[in-house]
Amino acid sequence: INLLFFAKSKEIVGQKQTQIYLPKKTTGKNILEGILNEFPGLQLIANNVVLSLNEEYIDNNTEVNLRAGDEIAVIPPVSGG
Amino acid sequence: MDFVDILYEKLSVEDISDMVSSPSCGAVSMFIGTTRDNFDGKQVLKLDYEAYIPMAKRKMLEVCASIRQQWDVHNIAIIHRIGVVPVKEASIVIAISSEHRKESLEAVHFAIDTMKAIVPIWKKEIYADEASAWKHNKECAWAEELPNTQNSENAVIVVDKL
Repeated sequence: INLLFFAKSKEIVGQKQTQIYLPKKTTGKNILEGILNEFPGLQLIANNVVLSLNEEYIDNNTEVNLRAGDEIAVIPPVSGG
Repeated sequence: MDFVDILYEKLSVEDISDMVSSPSCGAVSMFIGTTRDNFDGKQVLKLDYEAYIPMAKRKMLEVCASIRQQWDVHNIAIIHRIGVVPVKEASIVIAISSEHRKESLEAVHFAIDTMKAIVPIWKKEIYADEASAWKHNKECAWAEELPNTQNSENAVIVVDKL
């Protein structure tokens, strides 16, 4: 699964993009935990990020079936506009 | 028509206004967001914007759709600049045309408020003392309860009160 980092999360992890293995059938909460396991530095901002899956926001309870080629992004609080 | 774009170049307010204006419309309302030179007593040199471009464009189109559900407007343009934006220059221009002014004025207000809440674009303030900080909008739902910590050496998240 493609994993993208932005803003503060990109600075913490030191890369904009990587690959991650996640269980196929999972929830937003589990995905975040999987990401935190691999990148514990993100714990610092974990309470204030949301995730997106294929460019749609997901929350802790969203149930998903992941497929190869899916894209997840770590989205810190936005400040556009 | 909906025109959304994310660019690295300086935005031309006149060109964007031309994009939306139309002989059938009596009003073009615009919002221009510009880089301010100060935050919290610190001198801001410039803003550095980053975007999750495909998702941001998608969300910008959703904002357009939402506008059309609520107001009868003609053309909508939402153009965001990313990369470094010096003080006083525009980071976002929203232009909406409508037959009469009420609709486009209200739609522009809604557009900027909604953009600030849901579009995956981030800005980092670069201060005169070489420190910098990632900002967050108070409209952003997942920015609640962020601590107001200060670290002058590394980029930190600073509460945006404005």
